[in-house]
Amino acid sequence: MKKVILIADDSPTIRKFVSFSLTMHGFEVVSACDGMEAMEKLPAHKVDLVITDLNMPNMDGFELIKAIRGNEDYKDIPIIILSSLSGSEDVERGMSYGASSYLVKPFDPKRIHYEVSKYLN
Amino acid sequence: MKNLNMSQLFDKLNDVKLLFQYGQKVVPVLQSLVDFMQETVPLLENINHSIADSTAKIPKASDQINNVTNATELATTEILDLVDAISNNVSSIENRLQEINCAEARKAEIMGKLKSFVSGNQEAEKLLEEYASVDITAKYAEEISQMFPRIKDDSYNITLSLQVQDITSQQLAAVDHLIDSVQERLASLIQDIDETQIDEFHSEADKNESGIQAPEGATFDPNASYNKTDNRQDMVDAVINMEKASQAEIDKLFS
Repeated sequence: MKKVILIADDSPTIRKFVSFSLTMHGFEVVSACDGMEAMEKLPAHKVDLVITDLNMPNMDGFELIKAIRGNEDYKDIPIIILSSLSGSEDVERGMSYGASSYLVKPFDPKRIHYEVSKYLN
Repeated sequence: MKNLNMSQLFDKLNDVKLLFQYGQKVVPVLQSLVDFMQETVPLLENINHSIADSTAKIPKASDQINNVTNATELATTEILDLVDAISNNVSSIENRLQEINCAEARKAEIMGKLKSFVSGNQEAEKLLEEYASVDITAKYAEEISQMFPRIKDDSYNITLSLQVQDITSQQLAAVDHLIDSVQERLASLIQDIDETQIDEFHSEADKNESGIQAPEGATFDPNASYNKTDNRQDMVDAVINMEKASQAEIDKLFS
């Protein structure tokens, strides 16, 4: 059975790119354009891992991580931040909210596959 | 007493005289000030109109930036779809080549058996050798197989480079925000000069703020940059003390 990864990013290019990079390695990828849509899609799919951007409309990545970690059903899902923000305060904030990994854009698809495999294999 | 009063009167008259003398000197200055202001007013009006005109054009510039972002996003998605389709086709061709290779191996086996059957029949042996020399399928199948890693690498690099779209769209969003900020400042300036209203003016910006800041809840990173050679990921790894993935470990996944 394929592992399901939810990607939350307001950029269609990044959603497509992450999906392209991970589906070729046998993962099923579900997309959401912001944190709110991601929270709506979590119950509908048995999500094994979440990849999220930080700058998003409606509900940003920090809020999404907080919401996931605060939910009894999803609190243990690994979360990878994928953002162009690379300042130490953003990284520390993201990790303190409960992210499992932090990747910077533009990213190496091999690195994202490596991080995903670390949690799912 | 009378002498004292007269003295005071002369002093006062002297003051009045000085005042008139001063007035005579000041009047030309005041006149030239008035003349200067009369000359300046049309100039200020001209500046005001120019600012109003420029401010009115800013929403169009902002729209054009959004159009550029949308167009590049659409194009990038289309390119990714095409690369995806190419990758799928390459995979299909690879599978077919594997089938061809299997068939070639079987053909070679049959040819070997045929050679043993026709052993002694020179004409048949010669025909079999000729058949083997004109059958180039196996040779080309091998050459084509060697091209696939290159095609896959190229596709991979195309997708990698397409991330520039996300970064430039964030940079354009930052520029868009700067343009909006400038428009607000200009509109504010026009309001100060006269009561001209700009339709799109909804400024609540702090007029005392000297710098242009990214708005709260901005969905873009004004410092986003597309640079594949920088070490920002290394710095992030250092901040979170994440175990750095060695290239060997990553490569192992793809071997």
